[in-house]
Amino acid sequence: MELNPQDELDLDLQFGPAGHARVAFGGRLNAETIVNCWERLQRALHDTKLQKLDVDASALRSCDGAGLALLRYMSMGRMTPGVSVSVGGLEAGLEQLFRSFTDQDYEMFRPPRAKCHPLPEEVGAAVRQAFSDLQQQVQFLGSVTRNLLPTLLNRQRMRWPQVCRVFETTGANAVPIVSLVSLLVGMIIAFEAAQPLAQFGAQMFVVNMIGLVMVRELGPLLAAVLLAGRSGSAFAAEIGTMKVSEELDALQTLGLDPIRCLVIQRITATILLTPLLTFYASFLGIAGGGLVALGLGFPLTLIFQQLTSAVHLSDIALATAKGLVFGAIVSAVGCLRGLQTQRGASAVGVSTTRAVVTSIVLIVIADAIFSVLFFVLKR
Amino acid sequence: MNSPHQTVITVRNLKVGYGETIILHNINFQVRQGEVFVILGGSGCGKSTLLKNLIGLYTPLEGEVWIEGEELTKAGEEQRRSLLRKFGVTYQSGALFGSMSVLENVRLPLDELTALAEPLKEMAALALLKLVGLAAAAGKFPSELSGGMQKRAAIARAMALGPRIVFLDEPSAGLDPVTSADLDRLIKELAHRFSITFVIVTHELASIYEIADRVIMLDSHERTIIEEGRPADLRDRSAHPWVRRFFNREPDAVTSGLHP
Repeated sequence: MELNPQDELDLDLQFGPAGHARVAFGGRLNAETIVNCWERLQRALHDTKLQKLDVDASALRSCDGAGLALLRYMSMGRMTPGVSVSVGGLEAGLEQLFRSFTDQDYEMFRPPRAKCHPLPEEVGAAVRQAFSDLQQQVQFLGSVTRNLLPTLLNRQRMRWPQVCRVFETTGANAVPIVSLVSLLVGMIIAFEAAQPLAQFGAQMFVVNMIGLVMVRELGPLLAAVLLAGRSGSAFAAEIGTMKVSEELDALQTLGLDPIRCLVIQRITATILLTPLLTFYASFLGIAGGGLVALGLGFPLTLIFQQLTSAVHLSDIALATAKGLVFGAIVSAVGCLRGLQTQRGASAVGVSTTRAVVTSIVLIVIADAIFSVLFFVLKR
Repeated sequence: MNSPHQTVITVRNLKVGYGETIILHNINFQVRQGEVFVILGGSGCGKSTLLKNLIGLYTPLEGEVWIEGEELTKAGEEQRRSLLRKFGVTYQSGALFGSMSVLENVRLPLDELTALAEPLKEMAALALLKLVGLAAAAGKFPSELSGGMQKRAAIARAMALGPRIVFLDEPSAGLDPVTSADLDRLIKELAHRFSITFVIVTHELASIYEIADRVIMLDSHERTIIEEGRPADLRDRSAHPWVRRFFNREPDAVTSGLHP
């Protein structure tokens, strides 16, 4: 069974009387050499009316899987439909291999083409999946709630060093990216708003707008979305990899609950740090807007005055509440997707993607609920 | 055509390691056409590292690896590609692509590296799967296969391009004795029928007696080959105490804290 670019295949084609043809292979019949003879064989045998075809392999010196496949392909009559084909002359070992893979084997073991499921079936499967997912989410939420207080109150169980590690990787390490994005978003909004507001002589209200938008909406949203992309995905990948490598099974057989050992710490740390990141993102966004306002010629005292008149304590309370809820969403979804990881090489990747997508969708839904609630309460 | 007993792999003065750390040095051996050659040694002695240097995944610190008269270590990109196609490799875990069916795994080298007609590719892949006894699992995914089936599927994939040499890393690891014996028989059959040279890294004694024509024994203390020969000869006549202990499965007193 060999393959070498220099190896050669001898092919001899003879056409006799009464539609009889003979194909003789010599040398090496392998994946490389077949390519050269395939076209020639196809053309010659297709253009001729044949009754019988003899394939003589007695001069073959070696043959690989592709060579055997060609001989079997010819013997099945796929190259010459309706023609009686006989293959002979194979060396004893190869003959045995050739006979071991029959026409019936090919038909029997060939996997069927993937068929398209009908639409109702697809919809039904998706709805069933959604309900099963919802059930798992409720179970997870229940399990986290049940474990949260007992774990928080037990210092040994809580393992605060692990919480601090999550705090560092999820919070402190996220500061540079949150700074950059928030500052730039603040500046972009200020630039975009300055011109239309100037048409109404209201350019000085750029700072009011930036203050409100950053504190009430964009600060919490930016922090949460960045957290979902950076840390929610990391939680899913970490826990998912642990599941694939049977570490979660090991925890359970030691009598330890993965929710208590892995999830509570991550959720606690993320809930604590998200409001801080939210304030930081809001502050940097306002700073970006302030820089633009300074550039437009407004004095710093006026900027500060406008800001304090626009942003109230209730706005900061709203931002805090959003930070707490968004933090809970990002960490819980990340951990849940990690725990839901299936088997297989792509499973961790799938969990990570699902963690980020679900987190962002839930964050936006929660934000909408917050907006409605705030509107109703303020009336 | 290579005649039987012709040397297909020559390793000269090989030194392997990572950065400053030398794992093995002064490695010299030859492997002959159609031979089942086993690299043997205790856990952590550098067997798999040596294998990865032989197949060009790692670059040796010093020395030469010649495969069918061409030096792998100094080959240019084109020569290296052509050399890599002369041998197949299977890894300890099977390393099948999880997102593809077994048939697609075996077809992949044919799809990517040959210009074979479509129907021939499928037929060749199925013929190889039949050869390793896995035709019925052609449409399954690797995660649906047992450990032994994954190893056999990996061997079928390694043979897709009709290599002259196949390297196997721990083929029997994690398999039950029956499955392991099946795999040994398959290796023997392939070596005999197709005159394939097998280079196998293992420490399964039962497999070694069954399949090995010749073995080299690596030692983690001396960091080189300490014995070379037929397995039965090494067991019965080796002057090296560690080799005798290895073949007679005698525990090493140093590694056990239970017997002070």
